[in-house]
Amino acid sequence: MSMSNPGIPSSTEITEISFENVKKKQRVKSFTKGMLFLLPSIVLFGAFLFYPLFKTMYLSFFLTNARGETTVFVGLQNYIEMFTSPIFHQSMKSTFLFVLYTVPTTIIIALLLAVLANEKLKGIGFFRTIFSSTMGISVAAASVFWLYMFHPSIGFLNQILSLFGVESIGWLTDPKWALIAVAVTTIWMNLGFTFLVLLGGLQSIDSYLYESADIDGAGYFHKLRRITIPMLSPTLFFVITVTIINAFQTFGQIDILTQGGPQNSTNLIVYSIYREAFTNYQFGTASAQAIVLFIIILIMTIIQFKLGERKVHYQ
Amino acid sequence: MKKNFLLTSLMMLLVIILAACSSSESSSGTEAGNASGNANEKTEKTDSKEKQVVTFWHSMGGAGQEALNSIVESYNSSQDEIQVNAEYQGTYDESLTKFNAVAGSDSSPTMIQTFEIGTKAMINSGQIVPIQEFIDSDGYDMSGLEENIVNYYSLDGTFYSMPFNSSTPVMYYNKDAFEAAGLDPEAAPETFEEIIEANKAITKANPKMKGFALQAYGWLWEQLLANQGALLLNNDNGRSDTPTEIGWSEEEGKSIFNWVKQMVDDGTFANYGTNGDNMVAGFLAGDVAMFLQSSASSRDVIDNAPFEVGIAYLPHPEAKERQGVVIGGASLWMVDGKSEEEQKAAWEFMKYLQTPEVQAQWHVGTGYFAINPAAYEQQVVKDAHAEKPQLQVTVDQLQDTKPSFATQGALMDMLPEGRKIMETALESVYNGGDVDEAYGTAIEQFNAAIEKANAARGE
Repeated sequence: MSMSNPGIPSSTEITEISFENVKKKQRVKSFTKGMLFLLPSIVLFGAFLFYPLFKTMYLSFFLTNARGETTVFVGLQNYIEMFTSPIFHQSMKSTFLFVLYTVPTTIIIALLLAVLANEKLKGIGFFRTIFSSTMGISVAAASVFWLYMFHPSIGFLNQILSLFGVESIGWLTDPKWALIAVAVTTIWMNLGFTFLVLLGGLQSIDSYLYESADIDGAGYFHKLRRITIPMLSPTLFFVITVTIINAFQTFGQIDILTQGGPQNSTNLIVYSIYREAFTNYQFGTASAQAIVLFIIILIMTIIQFKLGERKVHYQ
Repeated sequence: MKKNFLLTSLMMLLVIILAACSSSESSSGTEAGNASGNANEKTEKTDSKEKQVVTFWHSMGGAGQEALNSIVESYNSSQDEIQVNAEYQGTYDESLTKFNAVAGSDSSPTMIQTFEIGTKAMINSGQIVPIQEFIDSDGYDMSGLEENIVNYYSLDGTFYSMPFNSSTPVMYYNKDAFEAAGLDPEAAPETFEEIIEANKAITKANPKMKGFALQAYGWLWEQLLANQGALLLNNDNGRSDTPTEIGWSEEEGKSIFNWVKQMVDDGTFANYGTNGDNMVAGFLAGDVAMFLQSSASSRDVIDNAPFEVGIAYLPHPEAKERQGVVIGGASLWMVDGKSEEEQKAAWEFMKYLQTPEVQAQWHVGTGYFAINPAAYEQQVVKDAHAEKPQLQVTVDQLQDTKPSFATQGALMDMLPEGRKIMETALESVYNGGDVDEAYGTAIEQFNAAIEKANAARGE
């Protein structure tokens, strides 16, 4: 505009500059306002997430003494040792197997129970309470309870097996079974929460969809596949993400049931980190493992959002 | 409108709770510990403000905690200058972790009980005052204590910590099962080879019962080595210089693996993995006839078994003479950075714990040794030994031990890690793994751990 009108350059320039100024001022103002709104979460995240994250990265390049103070800078040595260590390989393998065992099973069982419990029957409230009851049990209590179920000789499971004349199984002492035993415990524990969330999702589906389908003469399974699952997909997506992250971060049941044994077969990554840091006092190695866990979960979550968003149907 | 207000206030509350939770994370462990402390101690604490308070972190659960609490209570009521607050902090490992987190701050205790393999780590931590300073300034005489215990805890003639609860591993066996199998219940097998034979007789007489259980526990591994006179670490178990590698020979190490392998192959071995509680439960239920465990459990086991329990010495390979056992258990450490009055008070309490009367009560109540041999002359102990002669065996085994670097025990800060490595190796043999492979991997990892620990110290 200023180009086309060279006669009065100064006045237009001034207005333009002040216009820019005002725009800039407003941007600064809205930025400060935004920051003010974000401040509480930035402070909280900064103090409890970002600072520890960077500190962990820093520690992973050092050897430490028992108090966690850095002593010797070793560069990437911790990472190299970790990736060449057979114990860490075993730990990664167990972790992925564990995720594979627990996540699909938990969600399928919980979905089945939720679909059942969504029926309008007399006394359904009782069953809903029972199905979601494991949510109210702490990890420690559940683990101790299962510890007795798994006891090699006087445990309930082996007694049942012996009734049928099957040889007893070393649930927590046999490396072939230990991971499965821990997975069973975890599935049982997570079932309550998953069930409850899925049931909530089911109940929020509008009943007119089913009514129109009924009029069209759709069968039960057709409705399940065409209405229930698509309408439930946001909830399912949430549940899958949370369950996977939880499975990667499993700790309590391992600590109580197996302490990572037998032969490191249940030494899942978080337990391995704990052991490095607080039994071996190698905070450097532990930090390196924590970084790897962080990257794995980050990648998994990104993949899920990329894949999931395409399939998820938001109303 | 109202709903919105409610929601916002709820959110605010959540944020505050979240912040509070996170900021107190590091100290929440200790608070939980405090809360679980004895309730009557709490009330006593409030009405005795002028008393010098001593905070005592310990790791005694079960029968040990009961015995310890009653000792602390009677100390508190015996005088009115010092108030000892005994706080249970979980296992030795957990307690040490908490201590490392709070060391140097106001939340740290006045004294802490730490297991024997933590000795070197505590000295290196720089957070403690050697007990020797108090011994010297007080002119206290330590020579009255059990010789083998003094051997373990004095380094170059200096006491860094006060011995307190000491135990050794013993073999528990089911006398009724021995009788049923036609074995002499008064003569327990002494060697690995005898145990293998006894196992066969027991399983033959009762196919439902296994012969022997060895918990995959690094401490037992250390003891079985020491009993053969083998060192755990070189440089005299780390007592003459910092260790650089393992100290046992292949023959000594493998004898244990091969023994276990033989029992597994015979089908006479009961595998309880690393879980000691399951093993004891299995023994009490009559699923296994013999097992190795700390003598500290003897009171619990004898009282709870529905059959006659025998206690015998730790077994050894036939080719080697029995050397005896290493002192296990824990000692009490004085924490640095506390006021002089507080430390003095803690020192007074430590001395009280060494008196024959207290040690007698402690020995009878738990099965730990009396650190002060004079306790064995006390009537309580004599009565208990007459009633339960098994308790006597644990004392005899300790006194029969031949003093050497092997039975003095190893000193190194990576010992907890070493235990885990040996436990994994033992477990793989329990599950039918190859002895040479398991043994070879374990040695490699053990040496690597020693190397890393030395490197981390930056020396």
